[in-house]
Amino acid sequence: MKQLVTTAIILSRTDYGEADRILTVLTPEYGKLRLLAKGVRRVKSKLAGGIELFSVSTITFVKGRGEIGTLVSTRLNKHYAHIVEDLQRTMLGYELIKQLNKVTEDEPEPEYFELLHQTFEALDELTIPLPLIRFWFIAQIQRLGGHTPNLQTDEQDRKLVADQLYDFDFERMTFVANPLSGRFTANHIKFLRLVFAGNTPKALMQVQGVGQLLPECAPLLDHA
Amino acid sequence: MHVLVIEPDRLLGKTYVEALKAVGYSVAYAPTAQAAIVAADEKTPDVVVLEMLLPTHNGIAFLQEFRSYQDWQAVPVILHTFVAPHTYQDIQPILREQYGVVSWLYKPQAQLRHLLSAVKQQLQVEA
Repeated sequence: MKQLVTTAIILSRTDYGEADRILTVLTPEYGKLRLLAKGVRRVKSKLAGGIELFSVSTITFVKGRGEIGTLVSTRLNKHYAHIVEDLQRTMLGYELIKQLNKVTEDEPEPEYFELLHQTFEALDELTIPLPLIRFWFIAQIQRLGGHTPNLQTDEQDRKLVADQLYDFDFERMTFVANPLSGRFTANHIKFLRLVFAGNTPKALMQVQGVGQLLPECAPLLDHA
Repeated sequence: MHVLVIEPDRLLGKTYVEALKAVGYSVAYAPTAQAAIVAADEKTPDVVVLEMLLPTHNGIAFLQEFRSYQDWQAVPVILHTFVAPHTYQDIQPILREQYGVVSWLYKPQAQLRHLLSAVKQQLQVEA
C-alpha cells in the first residue's frame, strides 16, 4: 500500500489492546485521521516524541480499508514546550484541542489545522493572556463555521457608524442601534473586526484598550 | 495496596516513600511524569500522589496521558503540591470531574500525617 507523508497535530490518544494506541490527528491535506500506532507499548510511548500533544510532526501513514489507517513513522517538527510550563496554559490547551476535536467531527477544512497551529503558537508565548487566546479561538471557530456576526451593517442594513451606540441581537447576529444605552461602541466593533479577520492573538495584543474591550465583548461570543 | 508517589524533589520523595512504607503500603517512586507512566505500567497503582510542578511535563500533562489509558482511568489521584488551591479555583472542578483528582493537599500547610491520612482514606474508600 502507498505510504503518505503529511504534517499532523495529535488531537487525542487512546490505548488499543495491550501494545497499540489509536491516535486522532489533524492534517492540512487529509483532514482528520484515525491511525493505529502499532506496538507502541506504554514504556515506549514517550510523553516526548512524535506523538506528543502540543506538537507539530511529520507523519508517514498508510490509509486503511476501513476507518483506521496505520501510522508508519513520526518526526517531531516543533514541540510547544512552554505550554506545559504553566498549569493554566496546559489546561486551556487541552480544552481547546478537545473543542476543536469536537467541531471537526465531519471532514474539516485545512484552516482548522492552521487554527490549532496558531493556538499552540499563542499558548506557547507566555506573555499572551489566556482570556485573549480563548476569546480569539472561539471567534475563529465561529468564523470557520460560517457564524461570523455582521460587523458591517445594523439590523436595518445601515452601515455601522462611529458615533452610534449599539446593542447586539444574538438571534440575528447583528448590531442594533441604541443611541441612549447601547453597550457597544465603534471601538468594540473595530476590535471584533480585527478578531474575525483572523489576526493572531499576538497581533490583537497591540490593540489599544484590549484589556477592557475583551471582557466587554466576551458575552457576545459566550452567548453564541 | 500500591501507591505511586510522583515528586520531583528526591529528598521529599524519599521521605514520603518511607513514611508510606512504614504504615504498610507498597510504594513506587517517580521524579518525573514520564518515569511515573513507566512505573504505573510496571504495576498499576491503587492511588497516585502527585506534585503538579514537575520538570518537562507538569501534573496536568501527566494526568492527560495517564487518563488516556483505560485501565488507569479509575485510579484516584491525590494532589500533594506547592500549587495553592485558591489560585486555581477555576480549574478545580475540571481536575475533579475530568481527571479524577480526589483531594488537594497544599504542601506548605499539609503535614506528613495529612498525606498519610488522605492516602489511607482513599484506599479505604476503594476497599
